[in-house]
Amino acid sequence: MFEIPDDKKYLESHEWTTTDGDTVRVGISDFAQDELGDVVFVELPTEGDELAAGDEFGVVESIKAVSDLYAPISGTVVAVNEDLFDAPELVNDDPYGDGWMLELEPADESEFDDLLSPEEYREQTE
Amino acid sequence: MTAGNGRRVGSPYAPHTDADEAAMLDAIGVDSVEDLFDIPADVRFDDEFGIDSTDERELRQSLADLFARNEELTEFLGRGHHAHYVPALVDDLSRRSEFLTSYTQYQPEIAQGFLQVLFEYQSMLVELTGLPVANCSMYDAATALAEAALLANRLRRGASGHRVLVPEHLHEGRLGVLENYLDGADMEIGEYPMDDGAVDVDALSDLVDDETVMVYAESPTVRGVIEERLADIGDIAHENDALFCLGSDVVALSLLQEPASVGADVVVGEAGALGIGSAYGMGLGIFATREEYLRQVPGRLVGVSEDSEDMRAFTLTLQTREQHIRKERATSNICTNQAWVALRTAMHIAWLGPDRLVGIAKDAVTEARALAQRLDDLSGVKAPVHDRHHFREFVVYTDQPAPAITNDLAGRGFAVHALDDHHIQVCITEANADAADEFVAAFEEVA
Amino acid sequence: MNFDQARFSRDDVYEPLLSEKDSTTVEVDADGVLPDDLTRDELTLPALSEPQLARHYTRLSQMNYSVELGPYPLGSCTMKYNPSFTEDVAGDPRAAVHPDRSDRTVQGTLGLLHGLQEYLADIGGMDAVTLQPPAGAAGEFTGILIAKAYHEARDDDRSEIIIPASAHGTNFASAAMAGYDVVELPSDEDGRVDIEALDAAISEETAALMLTNPNTLGLFERDIVEIADMVHEAGGLLYYDGANFNALLGRARPGDMGFDIMHYNVHKTFATPHGGGGPGAGPVGVVDELAEYLPSPMVRETAAGYEQYEPESSIGKVHGFAGNWLVLVKAYAYIARLGDEGLADASAKAVLNANYLASQIDLDVPYGPFHHEFAATSGDRDAADVAKRMLDYGVHPPTTKWPELVPEAMLTEPTEVEDKASLDDLAHAFNAAYADSDEALETAPSKTSARRIDQVSAARNPRLSWQSLGDEE
Ligand SMILES: Cc1ncc(COP(=O)(O)O)c(C=O)c1O
Repeated sequence: MFEIPDDKKYLESHEWTTTDGDTVRVGISDFAQDELGDVVFVELPTEGDELAAGDEFGVVESIKAVSDLYAPISGTVVAVNEDLFDAPELVNDDPYGDGWMLELEPADESEFDDLLSPEEYREQTE
Repeated sequence: MTAGNGRRVGSPYAPHTDADEAAMLDAIGVDSVEDLFDIPADVRFDDEFGIDSTDERELRQSLADLFARNEELTEFLGRGHHAHYVPALVDDLSRRSEFLTSYTQYQPEIAQGFLQVLFEYQSMLVELTGLPVANCSMYDAATALAEAALLANRLRRGASGHRVLVPEHLHEGRLGVLENYLDGADMEIGEYPMDDGAVDVDALSDLVDDETVMVYAESPTVRGVIEERLADIGDIAHENDALFCLGSDVVALSLLQEPASVGADVVVGEAGALGIGSAYGMGLGIFATREEYLRQVPGRLVGVSEDSEDMRAFTLTLQTREQHIRKERATSNICTNQAWVALRTAMHIAWLGPDRLVGIAKDAVTEARALAQRLDDLSGVKAPVHDRHHFREFVVYTDQPAPAITNDLAGRGFAVHALDDHHIQVCITEANADAADEFVAAFEEVA
Repeated sequence: MNFDQARFSRDDVYEPLLSEKDSTTVEVDADGVLPDDLTRDELTLPALSEPQLARHYTRLSQMNYSVELGPYPLGSCTMKYNPSFTEDVAGDPRAAVHPDRSDRTVQGTLGLLHGLQEYLADIGGMDAVTLQPPAGAAGEFTGILIAKAYHEARDDDRSEIIIPASAHGTNFASAAMAGYDVVELPSDEDGRVDIEALDAAISEETAALMLTNPNTLGLFERDIVEIADMVHEAGGLLYYDGANFNALLGRARPGDMGFDIMHYNVHKTFATPHGGGGPGAGPVGVVDELAEYLPSPMVRETAAGYEQYEPESSIGKVHGFAGNWLVLVKAYAYIARLGDEGLADASAKAVLNANYLASQIDLDVPYGPFHHEFAATSGDRDAADVAKRMLDYGVHPPTTKWPELVPEAMLTEPTEVEDKASLDDLAHAFNAAYADSDEALETAPSKTSARRIDQVSAARNPRLSWQSLGDEE
């Protein structure tokens, strides 16, 4: 059983997102990290980049697979998790915590409504 | 199975006895091998190619006879394909079947030997180029150049366009391959002029703009000229956010300015000059680059890891760049490469060691200089045409028509290449240097 | 059979690196040769004596598995025996000539190239063949460029290449490199081209369909004539990936099936050695209508002898010179040695061996009837682990986890060179590994020079040269 926290919203492509009111955090789900296997490399955008919902913002690689990462909502990148460059295993060890990928300043909060709820995402992974 | 005359019918390398074949068919549950072919009748081939099988002795004789139709000429030929003396050790050890008849190292635990040799090859290229990442081979210098241009285009640092600038003097094979590889990426090639055989740096500077993704220069050039302003060329590229790609070869790299020290972002070129010698153009493409472009490198990379007993071990790595994982988004389509040539080149470099390697590189300069001078002393001949330092080869001007001279030299046992009506290119290495006296004498007779 | 691979080790390394045995720095003093600023300052490389080197490489060779040591049934790779005499033929000093030699002075070289062009054309049912592409992937790229030139000459702008999902990765990469969008075709439930899906995929954008036949599951595309008609009717061309041609020699020819362009994988089908990853050669054959686009130069025979020429609308160059000459010599020698009967027999025995081996293993083979190779599945066992365990039985395992159509695939191609006893050994290795405990599988191999290698560490912390090892820790 994969962990799918209730306080997050999801994309079909397995990104999660959560907001503290100001900024939005993005990462990949427990299910996604398990499918990929040991993550060996993460490529992320630079601070200040503008993303539209659905844009590719980076890649995550294991030994045998490469996955593109997609922005759940539109916004400006205000932080990226630089720890992942030296310790990509954080994505496996703690996908919803230390394995987060980037923080966005959202352009349009209403885009959240288009995302999958934990229940909807769970259905997709089953 | 043998026919009445004792000659094998069928493949001599398929070892089945009749009894085994019968037992195998029985185990499968069919009556004959033909039953195993699921090929519709309308596409079955029931004709013959008309190729007679030949026994090994006869075949070796007939191929020896065929090759005897090649005239035995002493070659003073270069232009991107160079012959140096290949030591017996390289032939002997590279032909060990453990190396020769192995596949790509997909099971590294059982292929440590080859992986280590490739890792050592990569390391030698890192030393020679000064760049920290070298792959374990491209097909040849031409395809390596083309791959460098594609890499530059993927990075597209500051550029708004897709142009690669190449020197006016560029081997037609390299230019041709580059054109074909760039076509699919909607890239274009611009040519910058040469000034007396070397890069016209001012003209280059005027041509580089924000459409340029890569500036390519060679040292030595296809005409053997040693480029004197590599650092300036690198600066021009970098000021315009373009990559600087330097073409060279494995011998020249041991003597000439280290590519990293002149700002090269990618080094391509030929490494087969050590390892295989004259092989009708078959070669080994060098590809080395900076650490920051690691994920964009085409081709295979061997890296170090540990095994379950914590011993150092080698393995192919970073394979997500490659076609078998990333398919149409791979950094290149290359799969089978030139691994065995890289093995031979590494053996040859190791056999030479740094002293002798630098030694043959110096000889390539001094012998070329001496030969050019001797030809220049002949009447109706000017050599070298370009007033530059040369490596191995140089262009000669002749009053007499160059094609006729080339022909006459062939009649006297020497091969040179006519560039046009009055220019001939001449190349010398330790492999043909002993024949230099006779060559000059012959040249005198025909020029 | 018991097996232990040679294993030289000291402390925590196997055979030390050349640089660890000796590393010598020489000052590059070019006084009187070149101005100082045109030369490098120093060069650091190993400087070992010849006997030391001979031992280094001989030891390394012993830590390397090869066809001459035992079966090497990598599916899609055709690891057959490489006849010894072909090495000697290729090593003939009179064949070691430079590509700038004039045609008149290299009639032997051109004669061999011409002969190989003809052999390959006959064997594939093609009208003209270029020998220039240096590997299969380069052949694919060449073939697609020819298709592109053909369409462009008709002012027919097409943007897509259709490729079955089960195809080799190079097909996708080659099509993309030539500037095409790739349309991926799903397989039908029999593992072959899904005709309906193909019908839906074909359009006036279709430049070509690339097919491997038999496909990468060893299955013959029975509907090939219909497929060819569909593609041709839409104005597209049909491309044959010749990696699996070892199944069909003398029994079927791509040209007769309606293929317009094909590449030959001579380092598979025609027994030239793989050399630890290359060199190979990927000659490309085409039908008459496309011959004018072939790369330059080609070789033809005239009354005055052999000569090189540039085809009328040639796509130009795909290799700096004439391709991998030494490989081409060996391929020629192999074909001439075998002749019609030998080639046909090679295919017959390759297919017999695959079918016999499949009948002797306990793993399920979901798709058939197959020819020279089959995709077994290790079911709920990890195919990569089973493969590692097979190493301990002294055989090379099959290609694993590909094609993806078969879960936990073990794509197996024994080739014609194994006899029954050796296939029985191979079957034993399959069955014993497959039946082993989880622990045995996960800790395998234990009889190889190196034990299970950590792929994750290699990729997370790339160390790609001996120079990089110094920086560690
Ligand atoms: C089915 C198939 N197509 C194409 C290729 C590519 O050939 P090469 O490795 O010679 O480039 C291969 C082999 O690796 C293959 O198995």
